[in-house]
Amino acid sequence: MTWIGIRILITLLLLVSQNLPAQNIIANAQVETTQLSKTSARAIFAMRAQEWPNGTPIKVFVLEDQNPIHSQFCKTILGMFPYQLRRIWDRQVFSGTGAAPEVVKSEQEMLDAVANTAGAIGYTDKEISHTNKRIKTIKVDL
Amino acid sequence: MKARLISILFCFSTSVLADNDQWYDNVVLHGFASQGYIYTTDNHFFGSSDNGSFEFTEVGINGSLRLNPKIRLSAQLLSRQAGRFDNGSPRLDYGLIDISLYSSPKYSSGLYIGRIKNEIGLYNETRDVAHTRSAIFLPQVIYFDKVRNTIMAADGMHFYNNVNFDSGALFMEVGAGYTLADENVEYAYMGNDWGGSIHNDKLGLFGKLLYEHNGGQWIYSITGTRVTLDFDASASDRAPLPLGPGLHSGEIAIDYTVLSAQYNGEKWQFTGEVAFENVDYIDIGGPVSQMHINSIGYYLQANYNFTPAWQGFVRYEEFQLDKHDWNGKKAAEQNIINSRQLAALGINQPPVPAHEYYSQSWVIGGRWHITQNLMLRTEYHIVDGVATLSPRENNVTDTTRKWDMFAMSLSYRF
Repeated sequence: MTWIGIRILITLLLLVSQNLPAQNIIANAQVETTQLSKTSARAIFAMRAQEWPNGTPIKVFVLEDQNPIHSQFCKTILGMFPYQLRRIWDRQVFSGTGAAPEVVKSEQEMLDAVANTAGAIGYTDKEISHTNKRIKTIKVDL
Repeated sequence: MKARLISILFCFSTSVLADNDQWYDNVVLHGFASQGYIYTTDNHFFGSSDNGSFEFTEVGINGSLRLNPKIRLSAQLLSRQAGRFDNGSPRLDYGLIDISLYSSPKYSSGLYIGRIKNEIGLYNETRDVAHTRSAIFLPQVIYFDKVRNTIMAADGMHFYNNVNFDSGALFMEVGAGYTLADENVEYAYMGNDWGGSIHNDKLGLFGKLLYEHNGGQWIYSITGTRVTLDFDASASDRAPLPLGPGLHSGEIAIDYTVLSAQYNGEKWQFTGEVAFENVDYIDIGGPVSQMHINSIGYYLQANYNFTPAWQGFVRYEEFQLDKHDWNGKKAAEQNIINSRQLAALGINQPPVPAHEYYSQSWVIGGRWHITQNLMLRTEYHIVDGVATLSPRENNVTDTTRKWDMFAMSLSYRF
């Protein structure tokens, strides 16, 4: 009985881990950067970095605060919680010292926005196919 | 000043932008609106709260325009009604040009020029925006509403310098500017609305050093300001008073320093802040020379996220107007002596009691994010002492030492 219990538990854990999708930072294909440190990724998504090394303005897209994909992205890639990012953005927006990112409603909207906006950066839990010429994946050193 | 600043911003924006863009296409607008309800068992806070008060309304709108990666303009209009402190007339909350001098993912520096919010403690910069506060009211022991304008914002220039390390980020800012003095300041620092007036024609200094460890899991900061206000005594202020000479013109020098620490976890957040204020009265004399403001205020708050939308908190806060006279004991004894002397002269003036000099309270509350932009809050305060209340709303010789406060608020932002 115990053995069956353990096997069920292991199966469930495997299921859960399979359901946790890999998070990828994505960017408009014109962006030259291919790799970011965690520090830089935090600075960009906190809206504290204004431009890419080549001078193109950075345009950040995120999903809504309570979207599970957003929450997962914050925790696994940035090592932060959604409420911390929200607090940073709100401080900047309501003291005039900075901005908040553009919020999109769905993953499809995210992909479209990143594909069509110069300097855009966002994230997805979908695999970006190699044939997609308008979106690139950016590696993050965790 | 307001009109001039806004017209400069607009002229600037239209001349710098490329021809094919209308300047207003690039303006990003945000705003907020919040309505509070306050009930106190005794005493007045934001209106006649002992009968229930709705006199706590905040509405604001701001716009920001990025002209290019180096230059950004932003301004916010604010209307705030708060009992007798604020009557709701709209004003320029901030209006600034942000010039980036250097920016890379590791390091950035720049200048803010215009009307700039001061970074005092963790919350002063955005203290009128409900969504950015930790509760309906920020702890009054540090974020005094009775003197908010002295430290709120200033017209001047700040220099900022931010460094990103692998372990965290360091933020430094120094600035100078003219603060916005008002009648509330006179009540708080001079005990009364005198015939003369307070001016702000001396430069105030502001500074901040803040370290965010590991993306803000831990935040530590020290922030401070030194502000000097001029008091011009009127003829009636100079006339001798029953117990001594009247007032002279002089200066009020205010030093204010806040130390802050915060832990941000997935479920728990802990915040502690302590503020030291020292006020020197130079040449003013008269009864004001008997005021000793050498205060300390501190609080500890624990927040718990039941879910991302539901949060509860508990807080303890304390304020002592004179840290060398805990609970106002010596001051109250002196007031009784003064009152007896006045009575001998046939003047009936009851003594100001000890509980005017301190405030200790427990606060418990919670909030619910109904949607991402709409929030409902409630909280309950159990208070001993009235130092955080203003003489503008309360007769200082006739306040109740132990009182409770209940508050609710509904807030929207976009």
